[in-house]
Amino acid sequence: MQLAQVILNGLLLGGLYAAMAAGFSLVWGVLNIINIAQGSAVVLGSYVAYFAWRYAGLNPLLAVALAGPLLFGAGWVLQRFLIQRVIAAPVLITLVFTFGMDLILNNSMISLFTADYRKIEGVFPTVPLSLGSLTLPVDRLLAAAAGIGAAFALHVYLHKSRLGRAIVAVRMDRQTAELMGVRVEIIYATTFGLGLAMAGVAGCLLAAIFPTSPLNSAYYLHIAFVACVLGGLGSVLGAVAGGLLLGVVESLGALFVGAEYGTTVAAVVLLLMLFTRPQGLLGRAGYE
Amino acid sequence: MTSRGRLAIAIIVIGGLACAGLPLILAGEPYLMRLVTMFSLLLVLAASWNIVGGFTGYPSFATGAFFGLGAYVAAILQAKGVDWRLALVAAGLAGGVLAGPVGYGVLRLRGHYFAVASLMLGTILKELTTGWSDLTGGGMGLTIAGAGGDPEVLASFALRVSLALAVLTVLLGAAIKWSRLGFGLDCIRMNETAAAGIGVDAQKLKTYAFILSSIPSAVAGAVYAGWIGYIDPTDVYDVMWSVKPIVAVLLGGLGTILGPVIGAAIFVALEEIVWRNVLSFSAGGLGVLIVLLLLVLPAGVLPSLVSGKTRS
Amino acid sequence: MQRRTVLMGMAAAVVAPAIVRAQGSDELRIGAPLPLTGPLAPEGQKQKRGYDLWVKEVEGAGGFEIGGHRVPVRIIYSDYQSATPRAVQACDQLVTQQRVHALFSPFGSGAAKASSSIAERYRVPMIAPTASSREVYDQGFKYLFGTFTPNETLTEPLGNMVMAAAPAIRRVAIFSRNDLLPLALSAEMKKSAVKRGLEIVFDEKFAIGSLDFASALTQMRSADPEWVFVGGYVNDLVQVRTQMRDLGLKPQVLTMIAGPAYEEFTQALHRAAENISSAAWWHPAVRYEGADIFGKTENFVQKFLATYSALPDYIEASAAAAGAILQLAARKSGSLEGPALRDALASLDAMTFYGPISFGPTGQIEKLVPPVFQIQGGRPIVLAPTSIAQGDFRLGIT
Repeated sequence: MQLAQVILNGLLLGGLYAAMAAGFSLVWGVLNIINIAQGSAVVLGSYVAYFAWRYAGLNPLLAVALAGPLLFGAGWVLQRFLIQRVIAAPVLITLVFTFGMDLILNNSMISLFTADYRKIEGVFPTVPLSLGSLTLPVDRLLAAAAGIGAAFALHVYLHKSRLGRAIVAVRMDRQTAELMGVRVEIIYATTFGLGLAMAGVAGCLLAAIFPTSPLNSAYYLHIAFVACVLGGLGSVLGAVAGGLLLGVVESLGALFVGAEYGTTVAAVVLLLMLFTRPQGLLGRAGYE
Repeated sequence: MTSRGRLAIAIIVIGGLACAGLPLILAGEPYLMRLVTMFSLLLVLAASWNIVGGFTGYPSFATGAFFGLGAYVAAILQAKGVDWRLALVAAGLAGGVLAGPVGYGVLRLRGHYFAVASLMLGTILKELTTGWSDLTGGGMGLTIAGAGGDPEVLASFALRVSLALAVLTVLLGAAIKWSRLGFGLDCIRMNETAAAGIGVDAQKLKTYAFILSSIPSAVAGAVYAGWIGYIDPTDVYDVMWSVKPIVAVLLGGLGTILGPVIGAAIFVALEEIVWRNVLSFSAGGLGVLIVLLLLVLPAGVLPSLVSGKTRS
Repeated sequence: MQRRTVLMGMAAAVVAPAIVRAQGSDELRIGAPLPLTGPLAPEGQKQKRGYDLWVKEVEGAGGFEIGGHRVPVRIIYSDYQSATPRAVQACDQLVTQQRVHALFSPFGSGAAKASSSIAERYRVPMIAPTASSREVYDQGFKYLFGTFTPNETLTEPLGNMVMAAAPAIRRVAIFSRNDLLPLALSAEMKKSAVKRGLEIVFDEKFAIGSLDFASALTQMRSADPEWVFVGGYVNDLVQVRTQMRDLGLKPQVLTMIAGPAYEEFTQALHRAAENISSAAWWHPAVRYEGADIFGKTENFVQKFLATYSALPDYIEASAAAAGAILQLAARKSGSLEGPALRDALASLDAMTFYGPISFGPTGQIEKLVPPVFQIQGGRPIVLAPTSIAQGDFRLGIT
């Protein structure tokens, strides 16, 4: 049935959206920074996957092992030595600052790689799976599963590891965490690193199914925004829920309103959410 | 005469001289005319943003939304044969009419949420404009009727109109800042909860500010459309129309009256230098400017020049 | 104070460049604003390659022949960052400051239309190598010339061909990028289909920059079309085709404009590109014997291959043709003065490597017949016009 297929399409996309939103949500929740450069960071991850495939034949799903640590390192350094200087500034300043960072990153990629779209192909079987009358493209299925898996891994890390729990503590109450001996600057840097690492992971997964170009970054940022707000700030599980919901909403929107209105529908839903329930579906003061 | 009075007179006199004189002085210099017109339009956007972002402290990214709205309202009306003067007025009205209810809703949010919501406004308007192609031409764009003719005359005319609009917007900013509305907005900026405590109707004042800010932005869009002669959604709803005014005001001095003027001038100068010399990385150059600015001169140029005073 | 000095220095730096003026009347200066960055950058680069090859050819021949002697050619590029208003400004600057003798228009119909007013006002001939929509040429301008024929000259031959190969086809689906050229082509496709008594079962647009088409294609699949037409650019078309395969959408005929002409298309899709049909204003397989600097089409293709290690596509050919056409006109007029050059262009009637060149009253090219082709065996095979046909139409999309 058409409706079921459309919803399935949305869920498959949503799994990817979850990975994109998880890191974004973490940074926003802990550092209180909206990283406008998130979309471009995802694209950078996509390029890592693309070039790894092109020159080493590496499967993009495996390229996460490359992109993750690389972007983690970049994010850590960036936060510790640059962003930290404006961390206490008002929202306007930090927003414009990360916007400036995004301009630099995005245009550097255009200069280095050109705006041409690059596609990875031939890695996954092209014949889709069938589930009754529904079709399931193999590449999307694997990418979505990996995306949700990555988000869950982040969630587990935040709750089981020492560093993860320290991050959560800083999110809930920075001053008390500091008093308890947590070194907040390190936490901030680590969190931002994790945020960018997740962006890199998401980028690799996206490179498996979408063509890569710096021109995608605005779209990816938009997704991260909306999924985050829908699901609730600071909650990784919320990002997953928000991502899946966004995927379905976009798909249904395209079906009922028109193929060119998918983004608009998502934006309207976002506004409605902000007006009625700004903390999102699962958002709370800390993580649970 | 108070210093405010002197400043107001200075703005009116210098502004008036510029409107009357610059088009004559610069006649025959299309490049400089274009530069000053761009400066004027940016100044309008910066000064109007300053009302919400500077005076009230709400980080709005909606400037581009009203700019685009004004451009399209004017273009569509002119395509139907409406006189350009009426079209400009209609554009401003459209901005104000949209800003009222939308502002009322969006201004209940604070900080990041407000910023995101204001940004979404532009996205939604852009998508709606692209989709409603029967009226707007959709992705094919819209040519402004009657925008042809002698290029010299058009350039001179656009310069005069945009300069006039810029002067009026700066005066509007001054008028607001020195009025009770401005005082209320300042209270809201410093501490909204406390302001409510002393009887400031924050929601109402914020909405007024938002409406007043939207009108010049929309008219600027209308002027831009007539000046360029062709608009499309990707161009007039570009997020840069929201970000550049902010950077200009941050450059010049947040919440001041002349800050937008200085900031817009510096910004246009830098942009031209970069565009001419660093062809393929110019947008990246803007990014570098932003990062450096916020690290080095977070208070802007004007407050730093006025020795000893800093704003946060 | 340090900051003050910096500000003064910046002010001075702004004023200085404005004082410099372009010198030199012993060269041909052509202004070419291009989207070298931004979303249209790939197309802008193609145009540039075409121009550069032509310039190289001219230099190899000793210069541009005008009034009995030869002068060097200089194309002055300006990156308008894919923003149309900047393109218009760039044209203005190129004419008033760089004092160019001719303009090559920015990419696409929208920007060409907007910029043509500059050419008209300053009486500088403008050749538009990438503007096909009739609307571009409907302002009554005398100084605008275009090397693309109107959009229906692509869709009509396709209609004929498909109907001849599969007369039982009834249901057509149209899916277009919400952008100037694709929309115009889709509108023409609809007209061509309706004219032949076909039923439009699906007619949708997708937003610029879309990466995912699953919803729309699912809907299209439900409508069960026999002929699917998609308008967009290379990356859109590759994605749409890939997702059609993912969703098991298998029409008898799949037509896509404007992407299959490019090598990137077949390289990205491999076997999925098989039997996709398309049309373009030029194709490396056409064979003309021109009076221009390149002469035979094969000669042009070889030179391009040697310089860029890739086959030229229609944008690159059209751009090079713009230069070649300007050359032929200048030879006729003997002068680089705007009006004289313009008249020579308007009365031109010559054969070139690109095809027959003569411009109609609106300035749009007239006699050119765009080839229809289909991907067969991984390569584009020309199917029309019959004089250069290399194969027959095949049905069936896997």
